Amino acid sequence: MAKNLWQQPKDNWVELLRSGDKGTFAEFIDKYKETVFLCCRGLGLRDDEVDDVASETFIAAYKGLQRYSGKAELSTWLWSIAYRQAINYLRKNRRKWQLWTEPDESAVGGLKAKEPGPVSAAQNSEEAYIIWAAVERLPRLWAIAIILHYREEKCITDIAKIMRARKNTVKTYLFRGREKLKEMLAVTFSPPIGVHRTATCTEDASVNG
Amino acid sequence: MLTDKLKDRFDFPPDGLTRALQRHHEPVPADFTDKVLIKLRQAQEQKILARVVLQERLALAGCVIFSCIAILATTVFPEITEVIFQSIAKIVTQQGEGLADRIPQTIIAFSADWQTYMILVGGIGLAVYSLIELFFGNGLKTTQSHK
Repeated sequence: MAKNLWQQPKDNWVELLRSGDKGTFAEFIDKYKETVFLCCRGLGLRDDEVDDVASETFIAAYKGLQRYSGKAELSTWLWSIAYRQAINYLRKNRRKWQLWTEPDESAVGGLKAKEPGPVSAAQNSEEAYIIWAAVERLPRLWAIAIILHYREEKCITDIAKIMRARKNTVKTYLFRGREKLKEMLAVTFSPPIGVHRTATCTEDASVNG
Repeated sequence: MLTDKLKDRFDFPPDGLTRALQRHHEPVPADFTDKVLIKLRQAQEQKILARVVLQERLALAGCVIFSCIAILATTVFPEITEVIFQSIAKIVTQQGEGLADRIPQTIIAFSADWQTYMILVGGIGLAVYSLIELFFGNGLKTTQSHK
């Protein structure tokens, strides 16, 4: 197993991953499994489905590593695979419609923020818990756009590639998601939270109007 | 009340949303990595198995089809089949007779121009190796890594 894989130069670890070494790939899974689960749950897959789709994502990534050019960030590349796998799963099960609807209370659990027990309370602050709970109540596509932009700090161009949507569509998701989030959080907090851009693409300037 | 407490304390910096979202940790089963690696190995084994099964089926199909054609030909066109087999036997016999005489000639011709023949043999060897690598290389490597 390669030690400190991610501390090596990018070319090195890309080559190591491409070599098919299982130890290196295990490190890759460990680093990105949370991201893939987040994507799958974010798109509304149930817990019993998430395991399978996440596994399929990593298997697809393993097969596709030879085609990974290294131009895009590895996380962006993996997000796009995970997104495609989850959407395909929903399409196959005729549940794609749920992407545009607000999840009902029983379905919330995709992006479920756990009740702050002794361990998670230490990890997540109360504010983060409240905000995450609000994000999980957004329509799935808005939530994914918000997560990609604010949590993963992806620019509009990358989000458009991941979601296979036009940049303007992504901007709309972000705008509507943020407005809805403000509306939901305004009930809890006053004044509403400050929303600030984090990604660096030039197209992003128009998003945070 | 939690909400009241938060109302007092909640003062987001400009990048508050980012920080709040980044604090969330998505729960992942502890044995997930091992499960994926096992699935990956199984997928590779199935791929190799599928390739072997396909080769076996093609070979079997070839045997069956060739046998059927041979039986059909001998049943429907016995005269033609007899002529064909007699011609083949004749050619083989003639070649065999001439073969013994040709061996010394071949050795002389080879020794006179052996460099050219070695290059030719090397080229053919490389071509055969490339073909084997192309069709079976990946499978062989995977099989070895599993041992």
